[in-house]
Amino acid sequence: MPPSTCLRSFSQLSLDSTARASMASRIRLHPQMAYFSTSAARYANPVSKKKGMAQAAKKGTRTLNVKKGRSSTQDTGKRPAQGERKAARKRIVLTNDNALEVASLKDITKADALSEANQGRVLGIPEATVDALRAVEAFKTTQGWSLFRRPATLIRKETIELAKVMKAAEDQRKTLRRILSGERLSGKSTLLLQGLSMAFVREWVVINLPEAQDIINAHTEYAPLLDSQPMQYTQETYTASLLSQILKANNTAENPMLEKIKVTTNPVLPLTLPTDATLKQLIELGIVNPEASWPVFVALWQELTQPGRPPIMLAVDGTAHMMKESDYLNAEVKPIHSFDLTIIRHFVDHLSGTKSLPNGGVILAATSQSNAPSTPALDFSVQVAEARQADPSKTPRWNPYKNIDPRVMEALKDLHSPTAKEEVKPLDVIKVGGLSKDEARSIMEYYAESGMLRAKIDDGFVTEKWSLAGMGNIGELERASVRLRI
Amino acid sequence: MPPRLNVLSLARTIPYRPKAQAQWLSRPTMRLAPTQTRAYSDAKSEDKVPAADRSKRIDAKPLGHVSEEASQMADITGGEGPDLSQGTPVQDIVKGDKKAQEKLPKVMQEQLKSNASSAPKGSRSYSTTTTPIGGGSGAFDMGLMSFTSPPVEAVPAAPGLKFEMPVLPLPKDGHVKHRYDPVVDQVTNLLMRHGKKSVAQRNMALILQQLRTASVPTINPQRPLLPGAPPPSHLPLNPVLYLTLAIDSVSPLLRIRSQKGAAGGGVALQIPVPLGQRQRRRIAIQWILGAASKRKTNTSGKTGYAQRVASELIAVIEGRSSVWERRNMVHKLGISARANIVLPRKR
Repeated sequence: MPPSTCLRSFSQLSLDSTARASMASRIRLHPQMAYFSTSAARYANPVSKKKGMAQAAKKGTRTLNVKKGRSSTQDTGKRPAQGERKAARKRIVLTNDNALEVASLKDITKADALSEANQGRVLGIPEATVDALRAVEAFKTTQGWSLFRRPATLIRKETIELAKVMKAAEDQRKTLRRILSGERLSGKSTLLLQGLSMAFVREWVVINLPEAQDIINAHTEYAPLLDSQPMQYTQETYTASLLSQILKANNTAENPMLEKIKVTTNPVLPLTLPTDATLKQLIELGIVNPEASWPVFVALWQELTQPGRPPIMLAVDGTAHMMKESDYLNAEVKPIHSFDLTIIRHFVDHLSGTKSLPNGGVILAATSQSNAPSTPALDFSVQVAEARQADPSKTPRWNPYKNIDPRVMEALKDLHSPTAKEEVKPLDVIKVGGLSKDEARSIMEYYAESGMLRAKIDDGFVTEKWSLAGMGNIGELERASVRLRI
Repeated sequence: MPPRLNVLSLARTIPYRPKAQAQWLSRPTMRLAPTQTRAYSDAKSEDKVPAADRSKRIDAKPLGHVSEEASQMADITGGEGPDLSQGTPVQDIVKGDKKAQEKLPKVMQEQLKSNASSAPKGSRSYSTTTTPIGGGSGAFDMGLMSFTSPPVEAVPAAPGLKFEMPVLPLPKDGHVKHRYDPVVDQVTNLLMRHGKKSVAQRNMALILQQLRTASVPTINPQRPLLPGAPPPSHLPLNPVLYLTLAIDSVSPLLRIRSQKGAAGGGVALQIPVPLGQRQRRRIAIQWILGAASKRKTNTSGKTGYAQRVASELIAVIEGRSSVWERRNMVHKLGISARANIVLPRKR
């Protein structure tokens, strides 16, 4: 019986105290009469629940199923745990025990990492650098690392071009900025990885934003930055994880760089830093307290740009994502421009040249052709720069019917309308094209020595695969020769 | 009614001790005297032949024993017979003589039996594999290639040719329609769903990549692979061979055709029908793909199906797959249905 009805009946009884005297006689007169409550009759036949409303059978439990045509055997096996399948998909495998060891494979060394003599050779990446590259998420699942005994890369023409840029930045303490462009599967991300590995070998400070999409797709929390005009937004969790990547990659057992450098400036932090602290302690403070991660990042940058510190490599992959409005919304429910997110603002300030690195360094931005939103401003700037490299008199014109993003145009001003007259341009494009036939032969000999390509590498074979790969597009070359992709 | 009392049965057990027997002695009942006969092998010289051979007539003389006969034959044909100074083993003497074999000691009989069926225990006396077309070492494309280019014959310079004459024989992938490996081609086509060939090709490439990166398989001796298969450590480096070996090892030799009405009474007569190589592979591939689709997916994304197929192929090579049972079942049924084959009468 529902309690509300009962209570109401009781209260009515108590209120009707005047009728109490006559009640006893009434009871005597009609003893069988149920006047206490009508609820029993009202709720005599409670509406039974619908059959279909019953809780669905749990997965894996056996239920009677007599319908025809259904398979009688149900999979009662254990389902994979949450996140397990994604982890398997994202796992990066850098070794194949079945592949043969290549005896002639040499590693990149600190002495000749930037030398031009390496062009056309396949060089291995040292083990410590592999760990550091793994820490900064430079390896991608789509790349073919899992086929070979250990990571090795072909030093191609574009790699030498990048090495020259790095050498100039190192020697003359310049800030040089490069955008990597090229066709799909032409090796832009791998060139970025080569740049990072050269920087690690040369003992630079490396800060890599592995994928710009992860910063702007509104998957991590954000908060407005106080006292910023116009309003900027920090991403605490993302910044904290970035700090932990920086620490893991730059503070290895071979080169404990961040442990050695002491904090010399007096950073303004919401938390107290012990006196005589090292950069490692500073970063750890930001990792442990994500709410302080952005001030810690600013303080870290302040420290790294002090005189006498190593050069800096600042890199990002999937640049197009940061050249548009982000998926975050502001208080007026309008999209926040990516340039208003502090991390991206920091990167773009260096890419556009408004801020520079006093100790020298390289800003690398790799574009992507397989996962890129439409960014007409970036595309146009890159096109103009590529055309100028080919023939300075023939540069394309802006299509007035396309939607321009003025902030991006402003940031890439040096790219589409440069003013500098130096030989080594501060901001330029490295066009990643196809391999030459010699380079193709070199990498295919490496494939064959690893046992992954069963063929006699002669001129005819190399030319055939080089042509099939669209004039030496290295991704297509790998597909055609080692991946057995018909 | 109470049970009738059995007078003969005893109310209690009576101790009964049988009469003590004389103790059995391990002693032969008959004393073996030194034998008076001499064997042929004892004969040291020609004149000491047994008495039965004293006849002068050639046709009355008994035949020599096996070795003698063989040496005589060798004399006639001009070859080299067995060495007569050595004794002839008993096994040679009783070879092909069923009655004599029955008289052999048990040990030798068992040895004979074990020699008769050279196939390992638990396997069939008949073969369940076929001789591959082309025979011998040409069974598998091991992916080997000679690094010495074939000698170029002097081709007479034909006038009017823009390019050189092609070198014969033409390379295996010279024809545009047969440029890929036949097994890879067939598996790709069977992987294809809704006419999406490029998806099937991607899956095929992923399968081969999985085979390449998976650890070296351990071969189960109960499930022998095709004869002439390379050692398992070679397989990951040659994924096409890996795939071919897995498919060819479980491909059935025959299928069962049910012919309606042939048995009478509405029962279909089951007739085994031999299959060609491509048909056999097709059936094996379909079994493998079916078994793979019943496996559980361990990853999300596009690689899931390819991973399942690859792990099924590895299971086939390692003898863990249920496809082997299927093949055995078909073969068993085929053997029992052999009687139903009606061969055309000879005219």
